[in-house]
Amino acid sequence: MSKRVMVVDDSRLVRVQLEDVLAGTDYQIVAHCRSGEEAIRQYAEVKPDLVTMDIIMQGMDGLDAAEIILKNNPDARIVIISSLAYGDTFDRAKAIGARGFVDKPFHQEQLLKVFGQALL
Amino acid sequence: MNTAVTKERLEQILDQALQDVTEQTAGVRLNQDNQSLGEDICTVHITFDKGFSTSLTLCADTSLLYRMACNSFHEDEVSPEDLEEFSKEYFNVLCGKIAGAMFQATQVAAHFGQPMFCHGRYEPEGQEVQFVLTYSDEHSENAQLIHHVPCSHTDGTVSERS
Repeated sequence: MSKRVMVVDDSRLVRVQLEDVLAGTDYQIVAHCRSGEEAIRQYAEVKPDLVTMDIIMQGMDGLDAAEIILKNNPDARIVIISSLAYGDTFDRAKAIGARGFVDKPFHQEQLLKVFGQALL
Repeated sequence: MNTAVTKERLEQILDQALQDVTEQTAGVRLNQDNQSLGEDICTVHITFDKGFSTSLTLCADTSLLYRMACNSFHEDEVSPEDLEEFSKEYFNVLCGKIAGAMFQATQVAAHFGQPMFCHGRYEPEGQEVQFVLTYSDEHSENAQLIHHVPCSHTDGTVSERS
């Protein structure tokens, strides 16, 4: 059975790129939220197996949104997909309980490895 | 801790990041050249608001960005909204790569906000051009990556923001 993925990113391009990379794999994109606020609202309804979360978005940033989702849903599996994969950003993602960090631009091998580890 | 890089090293970092990200994101190979931009251009701009008090601007022929957007969306045509969305996401990823390389070089974590997109050229207020890297692709479409520093910052290095 496919793992259900909720994509949180303000860019439609990232959804297209993720669809390319996940085609033919055990992962299926079931929702695309374009803001942190929308992700918080949608999470309980969608109940995804995995969330991919961008950081820089209009309004609430992805780390704040991830922190709230994890506070309300401690079993949530969130992977940060961002161009800010270094320093204090990386440290904060780990501290709030993100299960992985993928650097943009991403590759299929790297993405599937991190997704697999996040779902263990 | 080394908190400054020379202009020459910064040019290398920007050049490598631009070539890598452009090829990976849009399947277009850009090479440094000295061609002028055409009349129909678009600009994307990002200000580094933590770490380094500089900004980066990409001015490119609209036809080049349009073709890169079509490649990325796997479509023959894209809307003006898709062109803007592609340009912002592409530049966001490019600046992330650059900031990551700067972190490796200086241990200073630079942050930046949402990219700004416009048709035509954009000159950031209170900043001056430190250097311009000019690129062409195989179709002779051109782009310029412009590094801006605060006015009167002329010592040739980029330092941690105090």
